[in-house]
Amino acid sequence: MNIRLRQSLQRGGALVALILAQGAAAHEQAGVAGGLVSGFLHPITGLDHLVAMVAVGLWGAQLGAPALWVLPVTFPLVMALGGVLGVLGVPLPMPELVIALSALVLGGAVAVRLRAPFGVAALLVAVFAVFHGHAHGVELPKAANPLAYGIGFVLATGLLHGCGITLGLLTRWPQGDRLVRALGAAIALLGTDFLATGLRML
Amino acid sequence: MTPPTMTARPWLLALVLLLAPGLAEAHIIAARLGDFYTGALHPLTDPQDIVLWLALALFAGSLGPGRARWLVLLMPLGLLAGFLLQVTLGIGQIGALGAAGLMVGLGLLLASGLATGLAAGNRLFGGAVLLVTATSGASNAAGMAPEANATLFAAGLASAGYVVITLLLAAIVALRWPSTDTSGTAGWRAIVLRVCGSWIAAIGLMIGGFALKSLAGV
Amino acid sequence: MTRALMSSALMTSAPVTSAPVIKGTRRAWRWLALALALTLLALPGLLPMPASAHETSLGVLELREVRQGAYMGRWTMEPAFGTARIDLRLPRQCFVQLPQVLCGKQGLVGPITVGNLGANMSAVMIRILPMTGEPHSYTLTSANPVATVMAAGAPTLGTWLDLAPTYINYGIDHILLGADHLLFVLGLIWIVRGGWRLAKTITAFTIGHSLALAAAAFGLIGVAERPLNACIALSIVFVAVEMVKDLRGQPGLTARYPWAVAGAFGLVHGIGFASALANLGLERNLLPPALLFFNIGVEIGQLGFVLLVLALIAAHRRLGAVLPAWGAVLPAYAIGTVSSFWFLGRLLRMLAAT
Repeated sequence: MNIRLRQSLQRGGALVALILAQGAAAHEQAGVAGGLVSGFLHPITGLDHLVAMVAVGLWGAQLGAPALWVLPVTFPLVMALGGVLGVLGVPLPMPELVIALSALVLGGAVAVRLRAPFGVAALLVAVFAVFHGHAHGVELPKAANPLAYGIGFVLATGLLHGCGITLGLLTRWPQGDRLVRALGAAIALLGTDFLATGLRML
Repeated sequence: MTPPTMTARPWLLALVLLLAPGLAEAHIIAARLGDFYTGALHPLTDPQDIVLWLALALFAGSLGPGRARWLVLLMPLGLLAGFLLQVTLGIGQIGALGAAGLMVGLGLLLASGLATGLAAGNRLFGGAVLLVTATSGASNAAGMAPEANATLFAAGLASAGYVVITLLLAAIVALRWPSTDTSGTAGWRAIVLRVCGSWIAAIGLMIGGFALKSLAGV
Repeated sequence: MTRALMSSALMTSAPVTSAPVIKGTRRAWRWLALALALTLLALPGLLPMPASAHETSLGVLELREVRQGAYMGRWTMEPAFGTARIDLRLPRQCFVQLPQVLCGKQGLVGPITVGNLGANMSAVMIRILPMTGEPHSYTLTSANPVATVMAAGAPTLGTWLDLAPTYINYGIDHILLGADHLLFVLGLIWIVRGGWRLAKTITAFTIGHSLALAAAAFGLIGVAERPLNACIALSIVFVAVEMVKDLRGQPGLTARYPWAVAGAFGLVHGIGFASALANLGLERNLLPPALLFFNIGVEIGQLGFVLLVLALIAAHRRLGAVLPAWGAVLPAYAIGTVSSFWFLGRLLRMLAAT
């Protein structure tokens, strides 16, 4: 099921890319626009990245201050460190599996409203951030314009965090709290699916 | 009396209107409208300039309107200085690695919120303005077509710098320092700026990595 | 400088007999040369000038049908850098070997384009004169490099709509390159400040220049281009003077009746717009739609400029980045200096031409 979903998402993403790139493709600036679009779509079309980023926002909102604002500030930086490793071609062990695991763990934490100490939560998220950044960074040198790719990918990731945090604001109401936990459970389920697919591929 | 988001809207709209056609059709407009508009649109088609100008505006805006307003004057002057340096002496460009370093530095200053409390804030601000504007002016001068009229091109570049930075600063100052803060949102407003700084530093880190890799020839 | 010019004109007409006269003539000529050199150096170099920008870069190609499907091409107005480098592309069925163009039975019907419009050449007009029926003109610009030649017959709504993008873009370009028009509008905004009064003032300016543009385009009024350009510069000097008066607490004509001043000077600026349209040499039956779309383009550009200036004023207020009290008159003097400089330069050109 998740593969079909991913395919349809990728197709949708390709359509958006086509529309966005339409105006620019014919011109000299195709490099910049192309890089921007591919960078922006990379985190969004990969469903494993997408749900993990939303889960980070949701968990941050559940944990409240200081995690609520420390996460969105530090996550891009740690992610960029992973991105640099990816750009330089430094391999990380089993990146696909760890990314799938991140969706499972973060979604699960949201589902059970895990009250982890701030340090532990930060360390966990940081490790996952490095792997996510690595996956994006590997693609960067192939982009039409690497800088535009970086802008697009950072923008998309930040917007996904924003979505997660905004959804997480629902936790102020009991109904909303239940909804957020259900979302976390769904993300964890998707993560299990990704993990199972990944393990089968091994 | 109007809520801050409302007051920020016209500048944002103006910015979007300004940037939207520029990105895709810069060279068409340039061919139609001559060297002044070529110079004005040149920085807006270069992602490096866009990120650096945005970082500078965010940094200046985070220091408050008192310091930020100087940038309205310093931006076009700095661009012209960098332009002259490149045209006359052929210096001023700092390359992709230097630009990445500037992004990381400005982004980290912004993300950490350090500069606001520092006693050396003024010197830091001056240094950042000088570095960003001069290198941006130089890189635009280097990108100028040899047959272009340098005076018109530089005038267009300086005008674009003035217009973009003034609108950006006004939007950022209205976001960060609303004239009437009613609902205790000051904390959130500061965080939005810090998150932006963190994004910029992240972009700088990755581009720096890429530039290093290219330098090493791997 | 003007005096030097006048005296030189007197000197040259005097019989050259005695030594002192020759000496005087030489000195006057030197003055004239210096003045002209300064003007020529400063005018096209410092700021984009609408007239010169459009004068030099236009080419007109005439294609006359000599027998069924066969045309003879001739440049009636050569573009500044010659005709050899122009990349003319006609419909597929046409075989181009200028001056001859062979299009076969279908005739010259389909898209025509010039591939390398740009850098030095802003527009090419192609006039097609068929054996039967009306001649047609097509204006190609770098913004709209393709025109579609239609089969013979009366111009339809479709023909008119085909003209729209070309002339709207041409109008936008014209106002964006017309630093003098923009400076005048800037002065108006400065004096009227904003709000409802500004809306009325800009509307009056629009009505004024639209009326004059239409009248001039249809040949109802004709004004020589050089004196007109001098008048346009003078209108900006006037606005600058009014700005200074306003700051001294003596509200001038513009502050009291902004719409009247804007409407009256709009007439002058409108005739200026018409001369740009006249350069394209349109045929009469296509003139009304071309005029309409050109004017729409001018309004789009003007509205964009007004909105940008208003946004910048609001931004300056928000930042508290306003001029100190001693510098409040600087913008007025800046506008006044530039426009006076234009006025003198254009006056010199006008006198040099007569």
